[in-house]
Amino acid sequence: MNEELDSQLSAMFDDELPQGECELLARRLSRDAALQARWGRYAAIGAVVRGDVRVGSSVAYKVHAVIAAESAPAAQRPVAFAGSGGRTASLWLRGVAGAALAASVAAVSILWLQGGLPGGAGVLVARAPVPAAAAPETRASYVVPRAVESRMTVPATELANYVVAHSEFSTPVSRRNLLSALMASEPAAVGAPEQSLGSVDDPNPHADDAR
Amino acid sequence: MSADVSDLSLVRRVQSGDKGAFDALVLKYQHKVTKLVMRYVRNPAEAEDIAQEAFIKAYRALPQFRGDSAFYTWLYRIAINTAKNAVVSRDRNPVDYDLDMQNTDESYELQGRMKDAETPEGLVLTDEIRTTVNAAMDALPEDLRTAIVLRELEGLSYEEIAASMDCPVGTVRSRIFRAREAIDKRLREVFEGGLGRTEELG
Repeated sequence: MNEELDSQLSAMFDDELPQGECELLARRLSRDAALQARWGRYAAIGAVVRGDVRVGSSVAYKVHAVIAAESAPAAQRPVAFAGSGGRTASLWLRGVAGAALAASVAAVSILWLQGGLPGGAGVLVARAPVPAAAAPETRASYVVPRAVESRMTVPATELANYVVAHSEFSTPVSRRNLLSALMASEPAAVGAPEQSLGSVDDPNPHADDAR
Repeated sequence: MSADVSDLSLVRRVQSGDKGAFDALVLKYQHKVTKLVMRYVRNPAEAEDIAQEAFIKAYRALPQFRGDSAFYTWLYRIAINTAKNAVVSRDRNPVDYDLDMQNTDESYELQGRMKDAETPEGLVLTDEIRTTVNAAMDALPEDLRTAIVLRELEGLSYEEIAASMDCPVGTVRSRIFRAREAIDKRLREVFEGGLGRTEELG
């Protein structure tokens, strides 16, 4: 990567880049996966220096997935994650369920820091229901198994067992969302109409967010 | 340098429909927002849930953001309100959190770590990143280490760091960049090499 570009990125991260350069770099940053990954690693470095608790946070990926889902066609919407307001489940859940949902989220978060999510938001959602096609185009990760095929056949009951077995370690909010997603991902529920995003438990999320 | 220029550049892009710019904002602030939320809920996993919710609220409210205040000020306000609402909601549903309510401060941290166990990869990743970054920091020349610590830990501007290190602002920018690059190189090696590489690199 261009050293001057990286130097600009570092200065932009610190809010020390002139406005004109910032605007140009912001455009590139929003589209360049490698640059975004580097940006994310700069943030992780800062978090370690400050002694933040969860350096390997998956918040960014979860937010990315929820926002991508909002603009995706209903049939392609991925399941939302715990705490995101109770969104819909889809085949995406079953695609990652074989191993462990939470572990998969962590894995994708690592992918992001490695080299960015392939293709950006739209592609992520479009690819999500077909895990074989969603195999990352980035370098192989140490936590992402290559055998994606077997995950597709794991019945929801197995995942339910997994959730129950681990429930004592998960937050109540997480449990509710996971179990709701499981119910929705059962074959009988696949064709059911999906709830509109954000309408489940927070009809007016900005009501008390003072500006 | 006027504060918040880089955030505003990204915010304007989001407002014009560029979702990738919001990814950059979340990547930049996810740790700080989670840390802020933990002043209210303390459990790391729950804090991440609330941070996630706060970012989504911010995304939806961003079209109305006019830039009267700094983006992070606005974002932190949303995060605080979201956290306060979560605490109120928890108090209304004490059954879900009865174990939390019985905890003393001492046992709270342990419980937080246990709940964290739902994402073992996340924990491993956190440890791996922390170990790698700390080892890389230790290996930095003193001027680079001082510059990045003053920036990341003390939150000083380049100008303030330049004054404190008695060097030009351009030198500060270069030192911080070189420090990040050196640390980032180690991080990338760990990501590419797999778990357990930290010790070899140390």
